[in-house]
Amino acid sequence: MSAGPAFGASDKLTFLLSLVPFLMDHDRISVTAVSEHFGVSSERVREAVNLIAISGIPGETSQYLHGDLFDIQWDELEVNDLIVLTHLVAIDDSPRFSAREAAALIAGLQYLSSLPENADVDAIASLMAKLTRSASEAPSQVAVSGTDAGTTIAVVRAAVRDGVLIEFDYLSARGEHEQRLVEPWRIQSVDRDWYLRGWCHLREAARTFRLDRMSGLHVTTQPSSPRRLEAEQPEALFEGSASDLEVTVELPSAAVSLLADYAPQGAGGRSADRVGRTLRVAHYHGLKRLVAGLAGVVTVVAPVEARVVVRDWAAAGIARYDELDADNVDADEPDPMIVGT
Amino acid sequence: MSSTTEKTSRVSVEERLFSLVLALIATEIGLTKADILSTVQGYRQRYVPGGNNASLERQFERDKDDIRELGIPLEVVEPPDDPGSNHHLRYRIPKGLYDLPADVSFTADELMLLKLAATVWREGSLSAESRRAMTKLNALGIDASDPVLGYSPSLRVREASFEPLSKAMDRGQVVAFLYLKPGEAAPRRRQVEPRAVVLYDGRWHLFGTDRDAAANRTFLLSRIAGPVVAVPGATFVPPGEGQAQEAIGELDALWNANIASVSVQSGSDAAVRLSKRHSAGSVRLHELDTAVYLHYTDLNVLADELAGFGPEVLVRSPAALRSAVRSRLIAVRESHTDAPTIGLTEEGE
Repeated sequence: MSAGPAFGASDKLTFLLSLVPFLMDHDRISVTAVSEHFGVSSERVREAVNLIAISGIPGETSQYLHGDLFDIQWDELEVNDLIVLTHLVAIDDSPRFSAREAAALIAGLQYLSSLPENADVDAIASLMAKLTRSASEAPSQVAVSGTDAGTTIAVVRAAVRDGVLIEFDYLSARGEHEQRLVEPWRIQSVDRDWYLRGWCHLREAARTFRLDRMSGLHVTTQPSSPRRLEAEQPEALFEGSASDLEVTVELPSAAVSLLADYAPQGAGGRSADRVGRTLRVAHYHGLKRLVAGLAGVVTVVAPVEARVVVRDWAAAGIARYDELDADNVDADEPDPMIVGT
Repeated sequence: MSSTTEKTSRVSVEERLFSLVLALIATEIGLTKADILSTVQGYRQRYVPGGNNASLERQFERDKDDIRELGIPLEVVEPPDDPGSNHHLRYRIPKGLYDLPADVSFTADELMLLKLAATVWREGSLSAESRRAMTKLNALGIDASDPVLGYSPSLRVREASFEPLSKAMDRGQVVAFLYLKPGEAAPRRRQVEPRAVVLYDGRWHLFGTDRDAAANRTFLLSRIAGPVVAVPGATFVPPGEGQAQEAIGELDALWNANIASVSVQSGSDAAVRLSKRHSAGSVRLHELDTAVYLHYTDLNVLADELAGFGPEVLVRSPAALRSAVRSRLIAVRESHTDAPTIGLTEEGE
């Protein structure tokens, strides 16, 4: 269970309303089984059951008399940690989805359906229709359109499933091509970008690879070793290392979220709307790409070497345009109409 | 259990809401506000017979909104013999509209897919809403098929404007925000009826009716500066389904119409990445360069991305994109030239 946002009153109410029909369908069920099924802690299950057992409707007398309340076998709960619901009030079915709940799942499905291995469009469309029908209002108009993830994913995913090593040519952020042999553990996406997390035999260490920097992908028959995977943090994608370089940047406070992947540290700034942040990077090659892609937003303040790398990167780019102007070349531009894919 | 009912100590929020839902489902004809405040657990403890219950009434108004937000159809019934009277309004939750439709069922495979879809959202309201939807699905007691191991797709919503915009959209609330259009010196205030929020080409877009232009417009959430505020008293009837599809259709048309021609250095990061993404084709020019054609929806977004590749990319056309990339590179060079006096100077523009 990911931590996610705090479990508030809305979540608790939803859990109470969902737990009742579930318990109705399960005559005797252990607290542990319920906790596993709903993915919540045992304490939360007990807390909810205790509340359900004393809840009900005002009834004709408006006094919440015994017959107007849910009831459970208290001994079973206290002695055996078993839930036995003996009396029901008012509800006996799962509530419908809200417009936004249905939309959240539908948009998530849209994202999954754009991936090549989830190409069963009909099955996903039918599932979306069911969600729409199960919502109390038309789902919110939130949508995710296709991403082009490429075919690499399907190949790598099959290797993860089959537990075999893969080999590929990898272009590192430093601009070096190297042949890698990797035990693939996990494919993870963050928005449009896809990553493979695995054990790199060349580096003898856990590494994260961008799928779009792989070429010449080849699936071997060598099995992966599961022990290394067990030591892996399930959500780790990028991690710092002792050899990382510290870089100080300045940017508008509203733009800080753009650097979230780099875990920026520090607070304060010299003016009301610009703030300073410290990033840790493995080398300046990734940094120069990042900063050049955020022109006018992020400025490297220190160290000087990092500023020089960024400046030279931009200057090299400008030089190409200067050459182009000098030659006034547009002649070697091919006709787009004849281009194949 | 009568001892608990006599309890006057504080009743938790979830107990009060749970009791309210149960009471309103159990009633056929509905309960008046006075009925609710005087008898339902969590209200009755604070109810003063014949006295001033204004704060309790406000509590009830907020609770009603919270319950409806969860997809629970809380209805207001006007008394047939006294229409228009606020005093005798009755509240109820029709069980037929509350219950998940009886003919909807989910298979183990579908549930596995839905679980994966729910985990796409790791933060923010979409994550909380996915989690509540999964709780409701779990009530059905279906065991999902084994999850796909080693596979975790995720999407982020970084823009702070996402939440207020999507909420305003559901409520039919007109919003106002400052929008910085590229090429304009200062952000301009826009009044918009939000119709859909869509993720397209990796960016969140708002599709809505611009009130001043009286026409539909598409906005990039990342260009909204400052807070999104509700325009007091300005509402509209949400047009319902199909808006998101319309928004995507318009973006598709834009995407297909816009083609940039760029040269990329063979073997470079740009060559490897751009040729695999939103490429409309490529041609090897000579040893060093490959021509790549890229579709795009927004020239400035593409210019940001291409500038990041530095000398690995040379834009050939359109001219506006070429000059946009070039001026970005110049801005980067300028802001990183001259040794900085750390801690003293104002860096950047």
